[in-house]
Parts: sequence; structure tokens; C-alpha cells
Amino acid sequence: MNDEPNPFERRLSRQPLRPVPGDWRADILAAARAAQTPARVGRPAPQSWFATVCQQLSAFLWPHPKAWAGLAAVWVFILVLNISIRDDSVPRPVAKAVPSSPEVIVELRQQQKLFAELVGSSEPRDADRHKTYQGHPRTEWVEVSMV
Amino acid sequence: MPVGLDIARLYDEHVQPLFAFLLNLTRDEADTRDLLQEIFVKLAREPKLLAGVREERAFLIRLAHNAAIDLMRRRGTRERTKEGFAAELLSPFAPASDPDEGVFRAELAVALGDLPEDQRVVVHLKLWEGLTFEAIAEALEIPPNTAASRYRYGLDKLRDRLRPLYEEIKQV
Repeated sequence: MNDEPNPFERRLSRQPLRPVPGDWRADILAAARAAQTPARVGRPAPQSWFATVCQQLSAFLWPHPKAWAGLAAVWVFILVLNISIRDDSVPRPVAKAVPSSPEVIVELRQQQKLFAELVGSSEPRDADRHKTYQGHPRTEWVEVSMV
Repeated sequence: MPVGLDIARLYDEHVQPLFAFLLNLTRDEADTRDLLQEIFVKLAREPKLLAGVREERAFLIRLAHNAAIDLMRRRGTRERTKEGFAAELLSPFAPASDPDEGVFRAELAVALGDLPEDQRVVVHLKLWEGLTFEAIAEALEIPPNTAASRYRYGLDKLRDRLRPLYEEIKQV
């Protein structure tokens, strides 16, 4: 694919290209350095993994450091507030004790009795009744009754 | 991430080929300067762009090519006008002291300007940067065969256009 250049190609490639204007260097480098963040200029290359992690974390947080710091401050404030609320200064809600005076107990029992009478649950249901054994088959019983 | 990016070293090592490449694409010195500044500012702002880059030159040429294409798209109408008046645009070649050489360079600049952009880019990188088709393909993110065919088409057009002058100079 990369053939040797023929005379025509060699002739073209010998044509010198226009040089970069010398005064561009200062301006372009000044613009580039202005775009560099101060923390990135001239820092030595980190060697350890910890330094690499710190570097990447810094690069991640760098675009808005004040915003991240503000967010961290808000979280610290919330944490402190939460701890202060847990102190004994504010009593925890306690379940109210059920009044258990004898009059109330009597009243409750009366209500239960009344309810049981209304429902009719004092007698056992059919399903709850014990089945009694007749002592002989039903057919015998039928015959006796016919006689 | 390359920390402590030495932007001055990058500039000194690569600015000349980038300048010639961009000037051949834009044919406008102001545009070339803007693009160069855009590239170096971008590198300064995002040094991680160079992380893991094996060939700085190829990577920078890719950046330059993409930036030039973006610029041409943004200024589409103006660029189309420039294509039509390539002879009036800035030559990417140095002025020649010899009149015959001057004529040849001027004609070469016009002929290059008349090439389609994709052929002109490959011809430039092959002839004046001495890149292989593999390197050109990597820089422009195209298959090597495509780079080779674009070069052949472009070179044929240049040969047809410059043959009379070339033969004349060769005889002298």
C-alpha cells in the first residue's frame, strides 16, 4: 500500500510549507494557560494509586467546588440537627395507658354479655356439637318404628 | 490523566504541521489561527484528552481535522465561496525566490484547493507529513484502503493539472 514515491510525488513533497507566524506563539499559549485551572498547572505527576484516586476525585469535583462544599455543609447541618433532636430535651411519645378501673371492667363485661345474647352464641353451633353414636344402624331404627 | 500538561512543549513540537494542515484546509490565516488556539485551549482545559494517546501527532491532526470540519460547517456558505475562488486564497506554501518555482507553487496551491476536502487532507498528510496510509487512516478514522484510494484520486488530479508545468520545469 505504501509504494515508493514517484518523481512527481517527490517533487510535490519538496515544496516548503509556509511557516507559522512567530507572534502567534505567545498569544496562543497565553490563551491556553488562561484556560488551565490553577490547580492543574505544574503539579507533579502522582505515582501511587491513592494519588491517582485523589486526582480523579478532584477532577470530578473541580467544576463546581463551592457547590460541593455547600452541599457538604448542608449535610453536616442536618446531621447535627438530627443528633440534637435525639437528646432528652424532647420527650419521646409514650403510648397512653389504658384506664383499668373496676367500673370500666364491669361495664366492658356487661357489653360483652349483651353482645353474646344478641348474637345467640351462648348455645353451641351444630358444627360444634359432638355427634352421638346411635348404637344401631339407621335401617333397623326405621323398621322398628314402622312396626 | 496527564497532569501538569506542558502546553508549550506540545505547541513547539506540533504547531508547524498543524498550521500547514489547517491552512491547507481553510486557506485562511485568521481561521487557522482561531483553530490552533481552539485546539491548544481545549488541550489545556482537558488534559485527559491525551491520556493513553500513543501518537500525539496523529491525535492532534484528528483534533485539527474535526475542528476544521466544524468550522467549515458553521461557515458553509463562506467556505463554498472560497472553494470557487481558491486562486485568491492564501497558499499553504512558502514564497519562492525562483520565479518558475513560484509559478509551480502557486499552481499547486490552486490545484490543491480544487481537490475535494477528503482527498486534499489525505494528499497533504501523505506528501507533506510523510504519514503512512495506516497512520492517516488512524488520524482521520477511516479505513486504510479508503485513505489510499483518496490519495490516488487526488494525486491523479494534481498530476493532470500540473503536468504541463511539471514537464516544463523538469526539462529546464
